[in-house]
Amino acid sequence: MGLPTLLERRLVIVTGKGGVGKSTVTAALALLAARAGKRVLVCEVNAQERIAPLLGAPPSGYATRQARPGVHTVNVTPAEAMREYGLQVLHFRTIYEAVFENRVVRRFLRMIPSLPELVMLGKILNEVRAEEHERPRWDLVLVDAPATGHAVQLLRVPSALVGTVPAGPLRRDAEWMEELLVDPDRTAVALVTLPEEMPVNEAIELDGQVRGELGMLRGALFVNAMPDTRFSPEEAVRLAPLAAAAPPLGPAARAGRLYAIHAEQASRHLARARAALDLPTCVLPLLAVPEWGLSAVEAIAAAIAAAPPGSAP
Amino acid sequence: MNDVRDSLAPRRIAICVGSGGVGKTTVAAAIALQRALQGGRALVCTIDPARRLANALGLTTLGNVETRVPEHKLHEAGLRPRGELFAMMLDVKRTWDDLVTRHAPDPARRERILRNRLYQQMSAALAGSQEYMAMEKLYELATDRDYDLIVLDTPPTAHALDFLDAPDRILDFLGNETARTILAPAIGAGRIGLRLAQLGGGYIAKTLARFTGQEMLSDLGDFLRGFQGMYDGFKERAAAVRALLSRAEVGFVLVCAPTPFSVEEALAFHERLHAESMPVAGLVVNRLTPDLWPAGAGPLLAAAELTAALTAAGAPDGLAARLATTLADHQTLVTAEARTLARLLERTTDPRSLVPRLETDVHDLAGLARMAEGL
Repeated sequence: MGLPTLLERRLVIVTGKGGVGKSTVTAALALLAARAGKRVLVCEVNAQERIAPLLGAPPSGYATRQARPGVHTVNVTPAEAMREYGLQVLHFRTIYEAVFENRVVRRFLRMIPSLPELVMLGKILNEVRAEEHERPRWDLVLVDAPATGHAVQLLRVPSALVGTVPAGPLRRDAEWMEELLVDPDRTAVALVTLPEEMPVNEAIELDGQVRGELGMLRGALFVNAMPDTRFSPEEAVRLAPLAAAAPPLGPAARAGRLYAIHAEQASRHLARARAALDLPTCVLPLLAVPEWGLSAVEAIAAAIAAAPPGSAP
Repeated sequence: MNDVRDSLAPRRIAICVGSGGVGKTTVAAAIALQRALQGGRALVCTIDPARRLANALGLTTLGNVETRVPEHKLHEAGLRPRGELFAMMLDVKRTWDDLVTRHAPDPARRERILRNRLYQQMSAALAGSQEYMAMEKLYELATDRDYDLIVLDTPPTAHALDFLDAPDRILDFLGNETARTILAPAIGAGRIGLRLAQLGGGYIAKTLARFTGQEMLSDLGDFLRGFQGMYDGFKERAAAVRALLSRAEVGFVLVCAPTPFSVEEALAFHERLHAESMPVAGLVVNRLTPDLWPAGAGPLLAAAELTAALTAAGAPDGLAARLATTLADHQTLVTAEARTLARLLERTTDPRSLVPRLETDVHDLAGLARMAEGL
């Protein structure tokens, strides 16, 4: 199962430990899908927006907005999602405003366990179902999901509600949402990690939760910021005694040695991730860029296109 | 640059905060180890440590139990602490249960809450629950034990501010009189208050029921009724925790990495702590790329000249070009980090420690000790 398969799904949820580059990978996947002619929506979940800025566009807020040709972005917030959901259920704006826009009621609704998560997820999944001119509004919805623990919390809300909430409108919504999330034909989770100790541990743990507790398909593993093997072990050894030399040789030898050590450790963590996670894997290069913007995202997209998940290492 | 250590010296509680992936847990453990090395009884309370770090600290089982890090493990790492190091992992569910048990007026009430399915879901899954229980546990440790220093590692929050808001949000929920009154028809417990009559009262409950389902509201009503009477105890306790956090013996340690996102988060948190008059002990910038180019050596040469200069200086055959690229990339990162950091350092005056990226991941006691030196 390679990249076409991942991006041919209707919903791809990208998650991993904080700071591993989820947003960058999400933005790169969006560019690739758009280039393949797809209409793509990227959702962020109540976040400080990063996708649109990464794509060189202003933040979109809750209003879906085009960031690049073929790529729209939206930042889903609980208050706005609640409003949209409430209007959908009640049909009448006046009733909604009389009841739900009441300050006291609004505060109360925010406190019902998991309701904010449910309405945010509902908004996203509704976009997956939405049709326009008798075809899906989006070919692909990408979610730049919160970090590990928060992502699991978000994704398990429908099944938790199906398990705890008695029959009623809330339960009915939770049911169709769960159905969509666990449908391997439509939905996949993409894990992002770094070739480092804790991110790999967390990816392994997360993989278990996605497979077990959530029962969702894991479509791919992205190992981000992988150093190349530009120095052989013998060369690395030869660099050590040069570290004390005068500039530029001393600093260059130290930089080379640090790089070689980093690369050696990274390759061990990559091997560990591969061994523990039986997933189509895509290894992304460590980029030396002063700023993360469109050009860095383009470079990551090119790397994914060159060696998509599941291609031979 | 050892300011953070000095700033923490007179304090009894250090709370490490910051966005995910910046090494918060490691910094927390290093701070505790440092105090133990200096002769104190120090405890680090972590939320979700990496397995190897947990192993290093002797935390093999999860649970709310404080465990002393065995002396022989410290000795094996070449450390001779004059004090003692303890570690524990927070168990959110159990901390909730303990809290309910402590405040329940009678066993029947306790059981009713512990068995309520909304409670079970809330204690494990409600957003902010982890943060609230971390605070709760901290208060217990600070009042019932005699550590010289307790270091709390906080859960990774989606937003830095969640941590401070979580207890209030949850207490608001548990004690919300308005919520109870809105639910009054669902609870079947009598009259609707005057204020709510003005809002439409039963009409509101009926409309909400279309939204959530009648039974959901009943469940919720039942759950909230279970907490009636206990709420005051909870609230008092939360107020005490809040008061504790403002005391001078507490110090927040802002941990960040030299990336724009992490620095923005740290600044947002910093602003908030000041607004709430909570004491900041300092900033730890972790995983800084070491600057390898000496200040007096002039600007770094461009690639072609650098390669030539390296060859002339005797770089091994065929390595010069690769070394030139590697050094240039390395220094590009150094410059970018310095630019990012400038924003943070300009806008704060607190003690700060810049901790270089160590050559190996920190996952053992010796590594923690090396990191502690940088604090």
